[in-house]
Amino acid sequence: MNVVQELLHRLPRDQVIVDDEQKAPFECDGLSAYREKPLAVVLPANIEQVKQTLAICRKHSTPIITRGSGTGLSGGSLPLKNGVVLGLSKMSRILEIDPLARTAVVEPGVRNITISQEATPYNLYYAPDPSSQVACSIGGNVAENSGGVHCLKYGLTVHNVLAIKVITIDGEELVLDYRDDGVDLLALLNGSEGLLGVIVEIKVKLLPKPDASQLIMAAFEKVSDCANAVTNILKSGIIPAGLEMMDKFSIEAAEAFAHVGYPLEAAALLLCEVDGNQYQVEADTETVSRVLKENGAYMLKLSRNDEERIALWQGRKNAFPAVGRLSPDYYCMDGTIPRNQLAHVLDEIERMSKYYELKVANVFHAGDGNLHPLILYDAQIPGELKKTELFGAEILKLCIDVGGTITGEHGVGVEKLDSMCQQFSAPEIEIFHKIKRVFDPENLLNPGKAVPTLHRCAELGHMHVHNGQLPFAHLERF
Amino acid sequence: MPLTHFQEQIKQALHEKRRLQIIGNQSKVALNHEHQALDMSGYAGITGYDPAELVVTVKAGTKISDLKQELSEHNQMLAFDTPDYGDSTIGGNYACGLSGPSQPFFGALRDFVLGIKMIDGQGQQLTFGGQMIKNVAGYDVARLLVGSKGLFGLVTEISLKVLPLMEEKTYSIEMGQADAIIKMNEMAGTALPISGCAYYQGKLYYRLIGVHPPQSAMPEDNYIWHKMNPFRPEISGKQKLWRVSVDSMHPPIHNTLLIDQVGARRWVVSENKPDVSHVDLWNLHEKTRRPSFDSHTKITDIKRGLKSVFDPYEIFY
Repeated sequence: MNVVQELLHRLPRDQVIVDDEQKAPFECDGLSAYREKPLAVVLPANIEQVKQTLAICRKHSTPIITRGSGTGLSGGSLPLKNGVVLGLSKMSRILEIDPLARTAVVEPGVRNITISQEATPYNLYYAPDPSSQVACSIGGNVAENSGGVHCLKYGLTVHNVLAIKVITIDGEELVLDYRDDGVDLLALLNGSEGLLGVIVEIKVKLLPKPDASQLIMAAFEKVSDCANAVTNILKSGIIPAGLEMMDKFSIEAAEAFAHVGYPLEAAALLLCEVDGNQYQVEADTETVSRVLKENGAYMLKLSRNDEERIALWQGRKNAFPAVGRLSPDYYCMDGTIPRNQLAHVLDEIERMSKYYELKVANVFHAGDGNLHPLILYDAQIPGELKKTELFGAEILKLCIDVGGTITGEHGVGVEKLDSMCQQFSAPEIEIFHKIKRVFDPENLLNPGKAVPTLHRCAELGHMHVHNGQLPFAHLERF
Repeated sequence: MPLTHFQEQIKQALHEKRRLQIIGNQSKVALNHEHQALDMSGYAGITGYDPAELVVTVKAGTKISDLKQELSEHNQMLAFDTPDYGDSTIGGNYACGLSGPSQPFFGALRDFVLGIKMIDGQGQQLTFGGQMIKNVAGYDVARLLVGSKGLFGLVTEISLKVLPLMEEKTYSIEMGQADAIIKMNEMAGTALPISGCAYYQGKLYYRLIGVHPPQSAMPEDNYIWHKMNPFRPEISGKQKLWRVSVDSMHPPIHNTLLIDQVGARRWVVSENKPDVSHVDLWNLHEKTRRPSFDSHTKITDIKRGLKSVFDPYEIFY
């Protein structure tokens, strides 16, 4: 029996998809420019079936690509032609909510927003809120260490996960807990992009809902004024719950889409949310408003109630689809930069935009330095995707050059493999490969993702050079 | 002192097949004289700090007290209440993963680690993470090595997220232990801006930050938190101090002297090890022990495998 026959034989028939048409939705994730048909898609309903699938695939040396909801933006769950997709969407039960201890234990296929919805009766919620939170799964969030608009104050996924249950490639069940002594394996698994194990259960922290939230919207005539305002808010001693900046093009796109009253003439728009108890929120609102005015905001708007606050966020939260309406395709970048480099980086992106003749909309998680330039392109025009990718890679190079990183929250996947060669030295990349081998010596879990081969870096020729030494001196050059 | 000095020492040890023990100011673990010391106490100082970026980068031998002083001059702080056992260094507390009362509210030491520079067991200089609050490129080695007790490599520089210094007020309520455990958990589920919640000598203590509603509980001096963190009770005879980590709602444990972190941490003094899952012996002279890789569970296999990734010739003791 081959691997597909054995999967069909051993697992319930309706949980193994081999039909081409039915496999189609699994061909790609949110990075839809890359597509591949897997041998089969398995949708296990429980841990036993995960173990069975792993055992069968391992026996046949077949790669396994674990997948949640498929909303990832870096091709992390792109199938392999000779691989099996392990879709965890059927494992979607909330196993326990403990309101007093403020924890929830959930299966990996549970959608991010469902946890907060289920915790609402206890006045609790799960803090990380990626913009895809209505669809994305918590298992995928852990695999990518996802962020969201509130992570400056409330942290990323890694800060909100207390324990996970992982199945290793050899079928062992590990429980990794934040209280474990010695090395922090729980932190290692967060953001490991499905390369080290299959996460089958997650215990998350729940937080009390703040008593009050206030959104302050400020419009600026100059991008640099807006950037300074961000710096000075953080210097004033306030950590806003959200601090989001949009450039002129994003403002226009979002307003046309959501009609929330954004000022169309502004060069930059800042959305700052403060939350907590009523007393603190009042004090912080006053401070933030003063700092914004001092830094040249020509218009301030305070949300008068929760409906208005949520409405004003809608524009920002829909910035991606809003930009998407203006162009057949767009490519979303995810670099991070020190905030003091923002004005410089935006100038450079504008220069590149003219050079490549491609429009860019910039949305920026200003609080944590995470920049999302959206490059508009048309995949039907021959060569335009390639040009867009070059443009994107140049933006990431710029992020590294100013002291930032190539991905803040979307992960490396297949998309940023080349840029990894620029951010890390050969010995560092070798360490990553060795870590992978400790967990998965046969290289069956999501092989080829997240960490480039040294050969690939050498071929690209833009490996980051340490101490002036040429990397991979032992490898042949082409 | 240049980093090449440490690289040389590591390469020398490799050559001579000797082991090195990384030490700072020996506030937590004393030098085992069977091994050569790799002394980090002189490798100190802040190498990068821009308050508006909320990030500080320090050399591993920097004293925590010096770092806190520098941050407070810019109205900022380390938000994880890392305990200072007397000239403790940031590298030592990173190696032991030590956090205090604010952990349930702001996070543990590892939550604030953004990046490290290190030298591995073959003398290679490596960098993982960086100065960015968000960074998911490559495996999170900077956080992986928190708590690794210097067994995987020499961490030379650490970048940490910092937070604004906030005004603190402490209050207390007298009550029994079992009730206090429930009360703490209830309080942590409200929007009250709590940054510490403990139970000590018959009183539930809680600490509030910033502007908050008026409290009916008894005001206390903030100094009480220094008595609880680091916790150094008088111990006599065959008694031992145990650091116990449990679920926050875990019922009272016999011989508990202090409950911290909303109930998730218990400090127990007894002859015998308390019978729960996460317990560490907290000796007066050796507060943290080397992790043991001797058992043959899958987790130990993985830890042993990871040790050999960074230190294949077992240079670091």
